[in-house]
Amino acid sequence: MVKKIGADQFNEAKESEFALVDFSATWCGPCRMLAPVVEAVSEKLAGKVDVYNVDVDDAPELAGEYKVSSIPCLVLMKKGEFVDQSVGFRPEAQITAWIESNL
Amino acid sequence: MERFDIAIIGTGPAGLSAAVTAKIRNKKVLLLGSRDLSQKLGKAHEIQNYLGFPAVAGAELAAAFRRHIDQMGIQITEKRINAVYAMGDYFALQSGDEMLEASAVILATGVVQGKPLPGEEELLGKGVSYCATCDAPLYRGKTAAVIGYGPREESEAAFLSEVCREVLYFPAYKEETNLPQGVRVIRERVTGIAEADGKRLVKTDENGYTVDGVFVLREAVAPGQLVPGLATEGSHVQVDRKMAASIPGVFACGDIVGTPYQYIKAAGEGNIAALSAVAYLDEMKRNQG
Repeated sequence: MVKKIGADQFNEAKESEFALVDFSATWCGPCRMLAPVVEAVSEKLAGKVDVYNVDVDDAPELAGEYKVSSIPCLVLMKKGEFVDQSVGFRPEAQITAWIESNL
Repeated sequence: MERFDIAIIGTGPAGLSAAVTAKIRNKKVLLLGSRDLSQKLGKAHEIQNYLGFPAVAGAELAAAFRRHIDQMGIQITEKRINAVYAMGDYFALQSGDEMLEASAVILATGVVQGKPLPGEEELLGKGVSYCATCDAPLYRGKTAAVIGYGPREESEAAFLSEVCREVLYFPAYKEETNLPQGVRVIRERVTGIAEADGKRLVKTDENGYTVDGVFVLREAVAPGQLVPGLATEGSHVQVDRKMAASIPGVFACGDIVGTPYQYIKAAGEGNIAALSAVAYLDEMKRNQG
């Protein structure tokens, strides 16, 4: 399951052992296409990674902090530490492989 | 939404040949491209090695292709596809605000001319973007540079100027620009993009311009950009002997998969790609039940 969070709940993602944060926006076409893919990834990797969604319009300061300059942008974090990022749409198999290689 | 069996992007010899074979195999085909077919083909002076047509003019061969598809009742849909998304068991093809759906996709768009600018690929997603409508709001109140490779990219610059504090427009073409007042047109040749103190530097043969974001907008889209996640080799799509690309359900044929850039080779590959797509669809059906 993907949990939608705002800037004031971002601590939850920071405290997670392993988190995937999907920075996106409602007006961005590729973000809308990626959303169901991220949902599917979260189901498949349930228990291994906590998946969050942040709307950059609601949290521009977070987008700035994580150097998000193109969306959709997937950010992997371990206990709040930045691990890696992936920009743009990617098929499910590639995102799953990318997350697993960073486990 | 109506879902096609096979979407074929491109109306040169590869795409048309794929459409003919897919149609013979009774598949529901969406053929996307120009009703004028391939510009490159139309302009070819004389082709000497297209079997059955000795010393044929490009325009004449194109007319024969058109008769062939007309006779078979194959329609061409004139839509420009901006992106193809692999959604799992189907593909979503984005054309402006519209989404089309197909179970398999054949790429036959020809080869993209022109190399990326120095620094462009390195900074992609880090201040360089190909999609103004996607990323404009990230530059609200900031400065952006737009490098436009054709007049039709001007609308994107105009859109950006509504959001950004300042927009610099670098036309990479000779035609007069038609832009709102807020856009500053700079007629200098862009030589590269670099990072400087957390900002982006657009280098031209005369000056350097520091901005927050750079949008590079080209008429032709590189294959890896058209289909996000697709494995490419330079400007070509990686395919196997069956014309299958790295994402299951995506096939490619013609100049887009590499040299030699020959019409009859493109047509032959279109045939293979269509038959492989048909086999893929059959297998998908079997797996479903």
